[in-house]
Order: sequence, then C-alpha cells, then structure tokens
Amino acid sequence: MARKKIWVFLAVIASATLFVFFIYALFFLGLNDFPWFLGVRLDQLSQLTYYSAALPILLVALTATGTAFWIGWTILTIKVAHPMPEITEKNDYARLKALFLCLAMFIVSGALVYGVYIRSFWAIALPALAISAVVFGAVFWVGVTIITTKVGLPTNKKQEESA
Amino acid sequence: MKVLILGYRGNPYCGGQGIYIYNLSKELVRLGVEVDVMVGPPYPDPLEDWATVYKIENLNLWSINTREIPTEKLHRIFSPWNFLDYLMTRFYIFYEMATFSFKAFFALKIILKTKRYDIIHDIQTLGWGTIPMMAYGIPIVTTVHHPLTKDREADLMKDFGLWEKTTTILFYPLVMQSFVIKRVDRIITSFKEGVDELVRAFRVSKDKVSVVYNGMDVELFRNTGEKREENALLFVGNTEDSKKGLIYLLEALKLLPEDITLAIVDDGPPIKHTAADLIKKMNLGHRVTFTGKLSYEELVSIYSRKTLLVMSSLFEGFGLPAVEAMSCKTAVVTTTSGALKEVVTPDCGILVSPKDPVALSDAVMKLLGDKKLRLEMGELGRKRAVENFSWPVAAKNTLAVYRQVIEDYGKGK
Repeated sequence: MARKKIWVFLAVIASATLFVFFIYALFFLGLNDFPWFLGVRLDQLSQLTYYSAALPILLVALTATGTAFWIGWTILTIKVAHPMPEITEKNDYARLKALFLCLAMFIVSGALVYGVYIRSFWAIALPALAISAVVFGAVFWVGVTIITTKVGLPTNKKQEESA
Repeated sequence: MKVLILGYRGNPYCGGQGIYIYNLSKELVRLGVEVDVMVGPPYPDPLEDWATVYKIENLNLWSINTREIPTEKLHRIFSPWNFLDYLMTRFYIFYEMATFSFKAFFALKIILKTKRYDIIHDIQTLGWGTIPMMAYGIPIVTTVHHPLTKDREADLMKDFGLWEKTTTILFYPLVMQSFVIKRVDRIITSFKEGVDELVRAFRVSKDKVSVVYNGMDVELFRNTGEKREENALLFVGNTEDSKKGLIYLLEALKLLPEDITLAIVDDGPPIKHTAADLIKKMNLGHRVTFTGKLSYEELVSIYSRKTLLVMSSLFEGFGLPAVEAMSCKTAVVTTTSGALKEVVTPDCGILVSPKDPVALSDAVMKLLGDKKLRLEMGELGRKRAVENFSWPVAAKNTLAVYRQVIEDYGKGK
C-alpha cells in the first residue's frame, strides 16, 4: 500500500475511534452519575467525561488565541522593506500594540488551560459561548438578510404614481 | 498523457491564473496531451473547445458585506463549504483556496471512477484539500509564480496601525501554503531567483523546484507599425499594487524634462484613487494620463506607439508587461527586481536598481536621446520574446517537467 494511503487509513481509524470514544465518555461513562440535563455538576463528573467536553472546546479556543498571538508575533518580528514614506511620517504604534496583544493572548491561553485543569465552569462556558455566538450569529445574520432582501426588480415609482 | 489542471480562478481575460490556464492547456493539447481543467469562477468557457472543464462552485464572498451578497448566493451559503468560507471571510481570512481544494478533492473522487490522470497540475492553490488528494496515487505539481509572502510584505509596507496589519496577516493563507507546498511532488516557478524566494518563504527543498519561464502570445503582441510617439513613456500594471513601485517612477518623472509624458494603463479616478492622489500631490497631473482597462488590440497598439515602457517594480514574479513590450519591439527600462533581470537582458533594455528614481530617470533620458539604440533594443527584444517566452516553449518545458515527475513518482522517489 502506498505510504500516503496508510496515513489516510490511520486518519480514518483515528477519527472514527475518537468519535466513538467521545460518545462513550460523554454519555455512557457517567450514565449512572447524572440524570439527563438535571443536577449535572462538573466536579462530580468522571475525569474522562469532563475532558471529553472540555478539550475540544479548549482546542478551538486555543486555536483562536494562538492565531491572535501569531498575528502579534508576526507584526513584531517580520522584516519587510522600509514602509512607504507616508507611513513613516505618521506615528505607528502597531508594534507596541502587537506586544500587548501577544501578552494578552498568552495570559488568556494560560488562564484557559488552567481553568480546564481545575475544572472551572467558566473555562468551557466562555469559549463555548464565543463559538456558538459566531456560528449562530452567522446563520442568524444570513437568514435575516435573506428574509429582508427584496426579490425582483424595483418598481418604478414615477410609473406607479402616474398609473 | 492525461493531465488535470486545478485553478481556483479561471477567467482567461484577466488575472494571471486564468490566462496561464487558458494558454497552457491550449498548447499542451497541441503537444498531444489530454487536458481536463477543474476551475472556480469566473469560468473559462472558451476552454471547452480543447479541454473538459469541471466547474467548482465558489461564491466569491471576500470583502462583500452580507447585505450586498446577491440573493441567489445567499441561498447557497448554507452548504457546508460555503458556510465555512462565509465564516472565514467575516474574519478577514481569504479561505477560497482552502474550500476550493476540498471541493476539488471530493469532485475528483467522483471523476476518478471513470477517468485516470497521469498528473495533477495545481495552479497556486495549495489548499488543505491537496493533502488528502495525494492519496489518490497521482503525482501533483504546483505552479507558484511568486510566494504570497511578497504580496504580504508589499501590503504591510503601506498598512498603518494594528488593525490594518492584522487584517493583512489574516488574509494571506501562508501557514496552509507553507504546509502543503512541502508535500507536493514538484514546484514550478517562472524565474531562477524564484527558487531562492520559495526556499526563503516556505523552506522547500531546492531540488523540488523547476524553473519554467511563463509564456505570452507572441503572435498577438506584434508591432503594429504605427508611428512612434516621442518622449512618451508607458506604465502597464495595477496602480494599487505597491509592488509595482509607481511612486518611484513618478519621482523619476519629476526629475525629467517637462515635455516627457507618462501613460498609465490602468483605471484612474473614480475607480482607483491611489495613483491619482500621488500624481496630484507631486503636481504631475498635466503630464500623466490614465487609459483605463484596454482590450488586447488596444494594448498592442499602445505598446507599438509609445517610446518606452518603464517598470519601476519592487518585485515581479515574471514581468509580463516587459515581455509584451519587447514582443512589440519596444525598448524597456526596468528595475532589477525579481524576475525582471532574467527576463530583460541588457541588449533589450536598461536595468536599474529598484527604489532609485535618479537611476530610472537617467536610463530613460539615455534611451529617449538615442533612437538607434531603441530600435536595436526593440529588434533584439522581439527575438528574445519569441525564442524564450512564447506559450509553445512554456508548454514544451512544462511537459518535460511532467514527464520527469511521473518517472520519479513511478520509482517511488
């Protein structure tokens, strides 16, 4: 079998296994510990069940903070040709702001990892809220635009008035 | 040989990719290669005369406000890849290449049930979807005229403040391209120095890069025999692209006598304002004109009529205007940036350092004052264009790369 195909097989097996594992860890492992949607307490969940929910959310959150950090780092470190004269004339504090961005993202990422480690509710709730807001916000906004967009040719007001 | 060409933009009348796909596929077919093309919009309809075209949907959502997206596109946003594209574009991420590559990957799965390709030629997409595509067992080559790092650098040069810089960094999919390019079987670039550029930008191995000069239509770009204007300079290029270094040409123009004029082949106000603002600021309005976008026939005519073509670029991945001018027997003054020093030899034009208005004006003065030299350079320029930069030559060299890649792939290299 070609080496590239082996990687694909491994990816298929890994993704299927992980998915089954997540279903098991989230819904079956703690089945006796909590009734559905009632009285679920984070500190009472088994470690595996908790991390099955927390780690994917943490991963997405770290991707976002990591991207922001990388942007700041790129602005701080990139060597480009000398800026255009009209830019050098102005005071551009982008590098200073980029430094603060890096620091802020470093602190936020650390707080998220620590929060998940100590099983803080907020460490998964806030990123989950942000992810939901983006996805549902996009669906909502496109939906509203479709609903409120006038379909068809605009009517000629003058013609209407004369009629 | 059966080749599949992939390109996320296919318009054959504007944009480097579309022109490249159109001409390369046409010439490859003439060489006996069977060519299929999988492209995103705007679609290259005339291609269907010689190639099978598979059209991949793309909504082109970049920089369009949601409220301005046409209704028919809005209804299509909720398909998974389009929704991902929409989400990413709201965060200033240009994700079209990634979604195109995934769509191409799934489309190819269906096509491969009835067809087989010897090689896939990706035109600077380098999306994440290229990675699983490798498992189809077909070698993949990619053409990268210049790494996007060059465009990003040029944009960062004019960006002011954290927000502008952030959106620029988000726009260019360099992480994706850097990951994918290292894994394709061969990279084709259009000039020798481009090899080092690619190594610098993506840390690819030099052995994986082949140089094939771009082509151009030497039959179309012929001198029309119209009377040459005197003291008339020509600039062809996107004035909003800071890589073109127009500011240095304008500074050079200020150093030149008042009777020397400049025609810019691009849109001026009200469509584009950057160059017009500069011209106004430098008080050159009476000496500079904008032609707007020109048809090929008009372009050939203006190349044949103007005294000189001047390119003040800070970087060029090929320098098509220089070759077009040479093909029309027009002498050129260019900078030594990027591919220009390979494309323009000293017997076809004068080369000067980039960002040097004084050197640029001196070179222009030298050529304007020596008609005989201009004529000689024009003749040699035409000869060089026909021998090195015609599409049949480019297709022949590309085919040689395909053969080598297929052979290496068969050996398991």
